[in-house]
Amino acid sequence: MIALAVSALLSPSLPTSPPPPPLPPSPSPTSSGVGQQAAMASPARIDVDKLSVEQLKALKEQTDLEVNLLQDSLSKIRTAATRLENATAALHELSLRPQGKKLLVPLTASLYVPGTLDDSEKVLVDVGTGYYIEKTMTQGKEYCERKINLLKSNFDELLEMATKKKSIADEMGMFLQAKLRQASPSSSS
Amino acid sequence: MASSLATAPAAVREMQSDLESQANALSKIQKDISKNHEVRKQFTIQVGENELVLKELELLNEGANVYKLIGPVLVKQDNAEAKANIKKRIEYITAELERMDRALKDLEEKQNSKKESLFGVRERL
Repeated sequence: MIALAVSALLSPSLPTSPPPPPLPPSPSPTSSGVGQQAAMASPARIDVDKLSVEQLKALKEQTDLEVNLLQDSLSKIRTAATRLENATAALHELSLRPQGKKLLVPLTASLYVPGTLDDSEKVLVDVGTGYYIEKTMTQGKEYCERKINLLKSNFDELLEMATKKKSIADEMGMFLQAKLRQASPSSSS
Repeated sequence: MASSLATAPAAVREMQSDLESQANALSKIQKDISKNHEVRKQFTIQVGENELVLKELELLNEGANVYKLIGPVLVKQDNAEAKANIKKRIEYITAELERMDRALKDLEEKQNSKKESLFGVRERL
């Protein structure tokens, strides 16, 4: 039996979790381009009646694309938050175990090696860009909590933006249909 | 009169080729603009990540150990050195972002002037 003294390793590596563009303390924002597109879309909305059917269609397509992008970002944040919550649970489990407890360490996806728990008081936290910080168990839990709260607030902001965009897109769809009906009033017998 | 009639189709052909070359230049500028957007996106992501790391490092008290992942090796780093490193990286990326912003503005101006000249040529045709 290989008795590996393993100091508890923790790496809740965040995937590129995208928050909404106008957020100062933001973890890896994905598209500042989305913010730019949003800014460009709003002024055109004012005189939507004067637009032709073609332009309206193009505008609606652009808004639909933006909505899809925002939905994508929302789901990415949700995934990241789930992973963080798993990490928190794992941390908690680890803190409950006594020193010297036997465990199986994954070396690869299919290879586990028996070992003993050395010290669950110290954890190594992956903070990004290849930096790892040694923290105590409590600090590690705090870190996870902080990250989860950050992600939750980003998620809420993004959700707000997404619903607004979706309502704009729906309105444009209605305008488009009205325009089309206007353009072909003689369709009825 | 006869001479002007003879030169007319040649002039038309010349303007058409001029139009083509201007249209090509315009599409090239547009491609450059979208590439600029992509690179700026990457930089924004990186700068955000580095700022996060800096915040974490500042929260640490002096005693804690900081390690850096270099290839497959975790190397112990000095706390102050790591902070300085990250700060320098953030400065560099922000400078790059500003450079990209200026380049983008240039490209957009060029794009607009090209569009105008394109319209002019089309109208003459």
